[in-house]
Amino acid sequence: MNDIVFELQDVKYSYQKKYPALCGIDMTIRQGEKIAIIGANGTGKSTLLHMLDGLVFPDQGRITAFGQELSEAALADEAAAWKFRSRVGFVFQSADIQLFCPSVREDIVFGPLQLGVAANEVARRLAEVARVLDVGHLLDRVPQQLSIGEKRRVAIASVLAIDPEVYIFDEPTAGLDPLTVRHIIDLVVQANRRGKTIITAIHDLHIVGELADTVYVFGKDKKLARSGPVEQVLSDRAFLEAQNLVHIHGHIHEGREHVHPHLAFERHA
Amino acid sequence: MTRVYNRRPDFIARSIMSAAAFVKEATLCEEHARYAGFLQSLDPRAKAITFLALLVTVAFLEQAALIGLVYCACLVLAWASKISPGYFLIRTWVFIPLFTLGIVIPAMFSFVTPGAALAAFDIWGVRFVITRPGFDGAVLLVARVAASVSLAVLLSLTTRHAELLKVLRIFGVPQVFVLTVTMCYRYLYLFATLVENIFTAIRSRVGVMPQRRAGRRVVAWNIANTWSRTTKISEEVYLAMLSRGYTGEPRLLAGFQLRLRDLVWALAVFVWCAGLLYLERR
Repeated sequence: MNDIVFELQDVKYSYQKKYPALCGIDMTIRQGEKIAIIGANGTGKSTLLHMLDGLVFPDQGRITAFGQELSEAALADEAAAWKFRSRVGFVFQSADIQLFCPSVREDIVFGPLQLGVAANEVARRLAEVARVLDVGHLLDRVPQQLSIGEKRRVAIASVLAIDPEVYIFDEPTAGLDPLTVRHIIDLVVQANRRGKTIITAIHDLHIVGELADTVYVFGKDKKLARSGPVEQVLSDRAFLEAQNLVHIHGHIHEGREHVHPHLAFERHA
Repeated sequence: MTRVYNRRPDFIARSIMSAAAFVKEATLCEEHARYAGFLQSLDPRAKAITFLALLVTVAFLEQAALIGLVYCACLVLAWASKISPGYFLIRTWVFIPLFTLGIVIPAMFSFVTPGAALAAFDIWGVRFVITRPGFDGAVLLVARVAASVSLAVLLSLTTRHAELLKVLRIFGVPQVFVLTVTMCYRYLYLFATLVENIFTAIRSRVGVMPQRRAGRRVVAWNIANTWSRTTKISEEVYLAMLSRGYTGEPRLLAGFQLRLRDLVWALAVFVWCAGLLYLERR
C-alpha cells in the first residue's frame, strides 16, 4: 500500500528499560488522514508522537515511515535524516522547548536552513507563514517576550516553514484562549485539506471532532484501547468513563442545575 | 518544623528573587538597541570591529588628552544614537570609580609612586604627598578606563545581544559555539522565571522563606531541583532541534548586510585610530 505513512507493529518502549510507556502498539496511518490520539495522562501519547518523529525508537517491534524502517541506524544517515525531517514536522507540547533561537525570525527559519532549503525559498516561506499565522509583527522579538498564544503560533510557524507532509501536534490547544484555539483548529483543517497528514494528541474532547476523523484511545495499560471514527468512539459513554476521559459533574444551564457526564458533542437540553 | 527568624525577614528569598529579576531584566534590556539612531543603523560586524579597534587604540595611547578625544567622540556617538546623556553618563561613571579608585588613590601618593611633589597635606600627623608622576598616572588610568567603559557600554547598548553574539563568528568562533551561547542566553530567562516561581510558591505556603540552616536546606534542595529540570529541558531542546533537521552542524540566518555607510564608518574609524597613534608617537 503506497499511501501508508506510518506503520507500527507490536511496538514496545520503556524509559530507562524500567518504566513502560508503550506496550505493544499496532497502528497504520495513511496519507491525508486526520487522526487524534487521546488518553488519560501517562498513557504514552507523547512517547508515541516522539516515536513517530524519529526522536525515540522502539525497544521491541517495528515502525516504518514512508515504507522505510524508522530506526536510529536509518536516521544516522544524514541524507535519510534530512529526507525524513523534511516530510515530518512536530509541534512540541511546550513552546518554550520548541523556540530555542534568540528571535522569532530565526526560530521560524531554523528548520528550512538546517534542511538545506535555498535562501530565497527560506525568505518566501518566512513571509508566507508570518502572514498565515499573523506573526509578522513578532519577527524581531525574543521568544521570552511573547504571550503563550503567540509562542504557540510561532511554534506552529516554525514547523509550517518546513512544509512537511505530516504534521504532529502534541496538545496544540492546551492553555490557550478560545480565539487562538479556533485559529489553530482552522490551520489544522486547512493543512489537511491541502493533503497533509495530521496527527494530534489532545485532551479536549470538544474539539476532537474538528481535528480528526479517526481517533485512537490509549489506555492506562499503555496499549491501544480502541480506535475508530470519532463519533463512534466518543459516543460510547461507558468506554470513555472507563478510560478516565469523561467525568460526571454538575452544570447550571439557563438557571437550572443538573448533573450529568461531560461528553464531547453532547448538547445540553 | 521549619523555624522562621524574623530578624532578617526573607533575606534568602529577596536575594534570590533580586538575582533572578536582574537576569530577566538583563536578557530583555534591548530598548536602546531598537532606537533609530546612528550606531543602531550600522552593521553589527562593522560596529564590533571598529569598536575593538578603538579599544586597542585607547590601550596604546599614553596621553590623557588624546584619550579624552576618544571619550568626547563617545559622547557625540551616544547623542547621535539617541541615548540620553544622563543615562549614558550614569551607566559609565557608576562603574569607573569602583574599578579605579582602589588602585588610583594609593598610586598618587609618594609612598607608591615617588617623584616631584604636586600637593601635600597632613592627617593625624602623617604627611601625605601627591606626586606629579602619581597624579599623571592616575589621570591616564581614569581616562583610559572611562573611554574603554564608554566604548563597551555604547556597543552593548546599541546592539541586540543576539547580534553581538553572532558577531563572534567573524573572529573565527565556531558556529556551534555561537549557537550554544545564544541558546544559553535564551534559556537564562526561562530558568530565572523558574527560580522566581519556586520561591513564590514557597512564600505562598509558608509566608516567608525559612532562614539559616532551614533556609540553606531549602536553597540547596531547589538548586538540585533546578539542575534536574535544566537537564531535562536541555534534552528536550536537543530533541526539538533534531526534529527540525539539526545534524550537529548548525546553519544560522546570516541576516547581516554590509552597506556603503558601514564601509565609510569603518574607514573613518581606522583612519582616526591611525591618526591618534601617529600623534601619540610624534
